[in-house]
Amino acid sequence: MRLLVVEDEIKTGDYLKQGLSEAGFQVSLARNGLDGHHLAMTELFDVIILDVMLPDVSGWRILQSLREANNYTPVLFLSARDSVDDRVKGLELGADDYLIKPFAFSEVLARVRTLIRRGGGQTIENTLKISDLEMDIPKRKVQRAGKRILLSNKEFSLLELLLRREGEVLPRSLIASQVWDMNFDSDTNVIDVAIRRLRGKVDDDYAIKLIHTVRGMGYKLEADIDAS
Amino acid sequence: MQAKSRTMSLTLRVVLFVAVTVIACLTLVASLINSSIEHHFMQQDSGELKVISKSVAAVLLQHHNSKNELVKALSKAVAGHHGVYYQVNTAQGQLIYKSSTRDFTEQIMQSPTSPEFNSDNIVKWQTGIYSYRAVVSDVKTQQQLYKISAVIDMSFHLQFLKQFKQSLWAIMLGSGVLILLVAWFAIHQGLNPLRGLSREMHDIQTNKMDVRLADKNIPVELINMVHSFNSMLDRLQDEFLRLSNFSSDIAHELRTPLTNIITQNQVGLSRPRALVEYQELLFSNLEELERLTKMISDMLWLAKTQNGLIKPQQQVLNNHSEIAALFEYFDALAEDENITFVQQGENLDFYCDKLHFRQLLSNLLSNAIRYTPQGCSITLKSKNTANGQICICISNPGEKIANEHLPYLFDRFYRADKSRKRHSDGAGLGLAIVKALVKANGGEIAVTSNDNETSFKLYFALAKTQHHIKH
Repeated sequence: MRLLVVEDEIKTGDYLKQGLSEAGFQVSLARNGLDGHHLAMTELFDVIILDVMLPDVSGWRILQSLREANNYTPVLFLSARDSVDDRVKGLELGADDYLIKPFAFSEVLARVRTLIRRGGGQTIENTLKISDLEMDIPKRKVQRAGKRILLSNKEFSLLELLLRREGEVLPRSLIASQVWDMNFDSDTNVIDVAIRRLRGKVDDDYAIKLIHTVRGMGYKLEADIDAS
Repeated sequence: MQAKSRTMSLTLRVVLFVAVTVIACLTLVASLINSSIEHHFMQQDSGELKVISKSVAAVLLQHHNSKNELVKALSKAVAGHHGVYYQVNTAQGQLIYKSSTRDFTEQIMQSPTSPEFNSDNIVKWQTGIYSYRAVVSDVKTQQQLYKISAVIDMSFHLQFLKQFKQSLWAIMLGSGVLILLVAWFAIHQGLNPLRGLSREMHDIQTNKMDVRLADKNIPVELINMVHSFNSMLDRLQDEFLRLSNFSSDIAHELRTPLTNIITQNQVGLSRPRALVEYQELLFSNLEELERLTKMISDMLWLAKTQNGLIKPQQQVLNNHSEIAALFEYFDALAEDENITFVQQGENLDFYCDKLHFRQLLSNLLSNAIRYTPQGCSITLKSKNTANGQICICISNPGEKIANEHLPYLFDRFYRADKSRKRHSDGAGLGLAIVKALVKANGGEIAVTSNDNETSFKLYFALAKTQHHIKH
């Protein structure tokens, strides 16, 4: 998976590149609009991460050129300015997502993965499986090592989300939004409590732990934590 | 136009109004006097002309043997009238008799006549410098048709009128100017208290905002203004104090996490440590930084609401389903704390931005959970108020919030308990955000607290059509 990051702020650019590389992406970093524009127009990427405020060629301009050249690579905008107008302008120009600085790195990662998945047109599977955990979505049944686990509705949705995005770190805000439809930053530790209760049912009695806390970032579901 | 009237001085404006009124009134009075005097003269003249016409007619109607005898009789027809002339002509214009040297034959032949004296036929004649009032009437004797004319010299009247008009205008002008001067002086004097107030206001500075305007020796009309100004100062002083406190609160709220970060980094770097310890340090830094970020974005958000930049997308929401969704969200947390949720009241539809409503209710619920003792329950009760609003009351048992804290509960960074430790979740902006969200959606919020429980009441406009049957 190839990513292009266009970011003039040196530290932000470096850490985005490092973080995304460590998450398994091939990352090209352009430190100004001109280079970014050139790379975006000449090479193929799966997702382009664009800073809006660049000193020479603005992010808007790069996106416009891309779309005019019928290049529909998904674009994630980064901006320090949080105004509805900016957001609308970005989306009108054909941006696929929009993040306001300061953002959590886990959020960037989650959004990039969503954009790639959206482009790929994934198939929705009815049964999900990891290690000895099995989930039958239509029948709403969960089994681990052949033993039935009873989950509440929301616990079921939470586990399904973790399973479908296996191996990805999911930030708390994404979990709140996807499972409970709460689309705002909450001060509460609701998600932590919900995860703890889910763990109590899914992980506590078993040797292999599936749900892992990634400190400072969120949660992920993974069978073999030592291998990663 | 408006700018012009705003810049025009108050004195000039009032004096202009007075001037226009005075000119109009005086002109009216003067013309009334003038016309009534003229009318009076006219009446007087008309009477004289009638007497003369009748006398002459009477002479004509008598029998006379010769023209000479007639002329002689006519010369004696009128006596004791001064400045009065009469003349007799035949219908064809031949002069029979005239009482003076002046000959009016030409005018007589052009004037309207009637058989009897008729005041409508009175006309004005002008010969050279002289003005006359005259009447011509027909007299038919057995032999002949005569035109007799009675004429009064008006020069005296006109002379009198001219002089009278002159002195009248002089008096009017004099009194007009006098009235204007008095008006100007009165306004100038009247505005004196305002100048005094202005001087007092000028002395009010931000560092002595407790100064108030004295309402002694102030005219009744200005008392209201003085009171309004004083209450405006009260509000300003209040806001000013809040703002000053707010800045020092911000400084404090920022300094605490920054001190934590700096201290833990310095300690961490003071000697080599194990990898786990570094990870711990980084994580701890991250926590503090996230807290700072959240605080900054919350403050920016609040600033935006104050500048009216948050535009809610209002839609019809149902209280039962929204509250149920929030309960579901907090379910695990509440169960952990051994707290239960209870929903009561009517099933109603109301207007609010969905995201905003969920966010504000989430803030209120997490607040309620924080202060509710274990084993108790939080109650949400909805009802339809009489004036087209829904009232959602969030009550939780717990310690009473002292009355003096209640008005400030929605202030940024306000804490009823000043010494309370910083909560890991939130910097004291939660309730300020709730209030801003409610206001942005045209709603209201109130808080009450007694020994048993604390209640937040939310008010929003009810949807016009209710889709749910009330039980």
